[in-house]
Amino acid sequence: MRGKASKTLLHLVLGAGAVIMIVPFVWMIISSLKSHAEISAYPPVLWPTEWVWSNYPNAMSFAPFGTYFRNSLLIAVGHTVINLALATMAGYALARVPFRGRTVIFMAILATMMIPTYTKIVPQYLIAKGMPFFGGNDYLGRGGYGWLDSWWVLIIPGALTPFAIFMFRQFYLSLPTELEEAARIDGMGEFAIFGKVMTPLVKPAIATVALITFENSWNNFLWPLIVTTRDDLRVIQVGLAAFQQVEKTEWAYLMAGSTLATVPMIVLFLFTQRYFVQGFATAGIK
Amino acid sequence: MASQTSAVTRRTVLGAAFGLGVAAASGCGGPAPAGPGDNGEASGTIRLLTPIFEGTEGQKTLEGLLATFKQQHPKVSVEVDYTTYGKLSEKLTTSIASGRPYDVMLMGVGWIPPFAAKGVLADLGEDQQELTSRFNKRVVDPGVYQGKVYALPIMLDTRFGYYRKDIFAEAGLSAAPKNFDELRDMGRKLTKREGGKLVRAGLDILANDLRQTFLPLLWANGGELFTPDGKVAFNSPAGVGALQFMTDVILTDKTEDFGFTAPGAATGVPLVQGRAAMMVGHNNVWLEIEKNAPDLIKDGKIGFFPIANTRPAMFQGGTLGTVSAKSQSPAAAKALVRYLADSDAALAACKQRGNVPALKALESSEYVKANPAVQFAMGNLDAAYSEGGVPAWLEIRGDFKAAIESALLGKKTPQQALDELAAKATEAMARG
Amino acid sequence: MTVTSPPAAALHAPPGTAAPPPRRRRLGYERRRAAWLMLTPALIHLTWWIGVPVLATFVLAFTHYDVLAGTISWVGLDNFTEIFADETWNLSILHTVVYTFFTVPVAMAIAVVIAVLLNTKLRARAWYRAAFFLPHITATVAIALVWMWMFEPNVGLFNAVLSMAGLNGPAWLSDPDYAMAAVIVVSVWKGIGLKMLIYLAALQSIPPETYEAADLDGASAPRRFWSITLPLLKPATFFVFVVSMIDAFQVFDQVYVLTPDGGPANATTVMTFEIYKTAFSEFRISTACAQSLVLFAFLLVLTVISRRMTGKDDDAR
Repeated sequence: MRGKASKTLLHLVLGAGAVIMIVPFVWMIISSLKSHAEISAYPPVLWPTEWVWSNYPNAMSFAPFGTYFRNSLLIAVGHTVINLALATMAGYALARVPFRGRTVIFMAILATMMIPTYTKIVPQYLIAKGMPFFGGNDYLGRGGYGWLDSWWVLIIPGALTPFAIFMFRQFYLSLPTELEEAARIDGMGEFAIFGKVMTPLVKPAIATVALITFENSWNNFLWPLIVTTRDDLRVIQVGLAAFQQVEKTEWAYLMAGSTLATVPMIVLFLFTQRYFVQGFATAGIK
Repeated sequence: MASQTSAVTRRTVLGAAFGLGVAAASGCGGPAPAGPGDNGEASGTIRLLTPIFEGTEGQKTLEGLLATFKQQHPKVSVEVDYTTYGKLSEKLTTSIASGRPYDVMLMGVGWIPPFAAKGVLADLGEDQQELTSRFNKRVVDPGVYQGKVYALPIMLDTRFGYYRKDIFAEAGLSAAPKNFDELRDMGRKLTKREGGKLVRAGLDILANDLRQTFLPLLWANGGELFTPDGKVAFNSPAGVGALQFMTDVILTDKTEDFGFTAPGAATGVPLVQGRAAMMVGHNNVWLEIEKNAPDLIKDGKIGFFPIANTRPAMFQGGTLGTVSAKSQSPAAAKALVRYLADSDAALAACKQRGNVPALKALESSEYVKANPAVQFAMGNLDAAYSEGGVPAWLEIRGDFKAAIESALLGKKTPQQALDELAAKATEAMARG
Repeated sequence: MTVTSPPAAALHAPPGTAAPPPRRRRLGYERRRAAWLMLTPALIHLTWWIGVPVLATFVLAFTHYDVLAGTISWVGLDNFTEIFADETWNLSILHTVVYTFFTVPVAMAIAVVIAVLLNTKLRARAWYRAAFFLPHITATVAIALVWMWMFEPNVGLFNAVLSMAGLNGPAWLSDPDYAMAAVIVVSVWKGIGLKMLIYLAALQSIPPETYEAADLDGASAPRRFWSITLPLLKPATFFVFVVSMIDAFQVFDQVYVLTPDGGPANATTVMTFEIYKTAFSEFRISTACAQSLVLFAFLLVLTVISRRMTGKDDDAR
């Protein structure tokens, strides 16, 4: 009886919170279906009198969104796969194996997060341009365009994040030593312990990092814009930015485009959150 | 890359220095020398960076234009990089730092002196006399630095006064304001409050970027941004008077409340909504009216006026075409700039965003005739003033907004606000 | 490299390995070799793409690099004297600290509670989780559109509520006294989702058996939360705290969208905005590098402090 009452209370609290959280999103969807006049009406029109579905096809024809969408998807998938592969390994090594210099390396990785993007972007651009042997460059990276205007530059530089390494380190840290020792007694090597014993236990962390990496990459705008000059290499956020000019904003189209750009994220979230299950329940530890 | 100049090599070395984290110290200095000579027939592949012609629409337009250009210059191919004004400076910075800037760069009015002074831009070799026969002199000037033409105007954007004739008639007013006193008087009369809440602003000075509202007031009041020899002049009595006017509108007359609206606000443009009787606005407010309140146009309820006190003034910004000093094909690049500044391209660019053509000849075009705001702007180009003019302008302009706001909020007097701003500006100019 | 003599290393080693027998020694070598192999790809990537730019930032901060003219010269500490003489920069430091101080702990506290609640068996749990994560993925411009209406002085939601209570609300986003508060509210709202997600993931690694003893004792839910859940979330909390702090110190988007160009009379200008402005609006790259180093110094000190406070016990495995 008491349990039921507290469940109801819980639903009430979470429900109220959830409503506050989704209001802007709902507003975005409704705005995406308003006419120009209603979207800038004062006071605001909460419920459109006329649902302008044509905003969607119009927004989509504003820029080559098909190409942009494909590019964003490829880049986001590339980033996610590489990040998971490299960051799990690095996080594991930093968390589970004591070796000299570990703390220094860990702090150095943290430190790389502490310089803002805007400061790093000019040197990063120069590194990409100076990539030896690529894009007409000689062995010293002179003469050509290097990685600029290529898939390399869109995928590689942003593929590994210190955030992911840090997160995996923390999650590997919180696993008990017993499992590892048992596996070692069974004669398993370090790589096997990493791949077969420990990593399956941090599934929720993998899901989280995958989601965040994908999302960051999907929303990234500045880097893809700066390192490409060709329109067929541009991404979805570049398309959305076209709705926002310095002098005026195409609100209805922007909202329609943003809604469409957000849908894949929500699907991805609902999919990945299934991996938020007790790692230990399946691991069957005593 | 046999044609590499020594300057390019040095840039690359600088790039490598970045790469190794050992920035090459003082060794390399001085502005870059100009590229190879620009004589001979225009040929080669050139890169164009454009913050306009965005979206599928704009892209199609520009491609059509470039096809025509190709017919005139068969040996030139153009690679276009589309960006937005919001990210233009990032694109420019990275490309310039890497030593391979775009051959043709489109940029805003205030950018020409800084870029020309640092040796980024090539002298277009144009004759100012000849230009002023095709363009209004006011429009040519922003592209000129130390007597040389570095940029040609493609399109203009202007700020001037809008008023609602219907609201004026209700209040028994007929003519647009001719000076600051009339502006204030009318503003007070036209303001409407309900229970203390501002329902209608008599004069809306907040829907436009604050610096671009202040500047036409400064010029209308007989002031200047800088003296002809490049010293700060905006804190002159005329400047202080202009800011005092803005402060009076907000604090004394309470014709508008600070925070009532903001440039590009999601809450819409008050004048269009009938929540303001007059405003200082961009010529593209007309497009907003066409879209959201076409009846206002049909019934002839919209009027324009130049901001005036001791003289009429209109703010003029614009997009200009420039050529990089490092271009390998300067002749081709210059040809493209000339083409973009000519009637076909200029008209197409203006159409896309409701802007004002710079060419005199286009005043009689269908487009201008169909857009009264643009027509008004073109008719008043003699009263147009541009911002900038000094190499340090880019370091100065960003501080205007906060200074103006501190006066409008009553935190500082107009004199104090402008004096502090002037001190900052002087410091930036001394820094060089 | 088999001798682990320095006391620091011994501190980090698991208990009982102080005098390793020969077999364990070889094992230790193999493990270290494996660790380096696992670490190397990541280190190469990070060094090349982030390490070098960070190093370049350090070097450039002590130069005068004119990106337009392409000239560079050493100026020692000039950039630093210059930025600290700039009132607006100093103001932006203060704003950043205030912003971080209010945003991070509040969002973290809400996030951990929500995460614990959403970790129980509950109907529609997936949808609740999605709802709380939604602000994080909703486009910043859409957020701006909604919040601008909510903060609108005349018909906005906030002032409508206040006027019901007979109060006259401010023009939130345009009032220097309230603009930062408004930005903080939006940031807390936006920041909960990601932190919740990380806590949620961390909660999965707490074995249910941990609670069994407490259940037998009949401990209340809040008590279990305080004495069992929170301590076990320590590594996650250290992570969330450091990451949130770094994020908060580098906040740009929300602030810029809600209160453009530094807000009313620079009331919401933050460090990253000043850095952006210096680098890409004024083209003074080396000055922006000096400003970035100040930001870096703040974050480094705060990270070291928080590492001390959470204790280094999380290092020992």
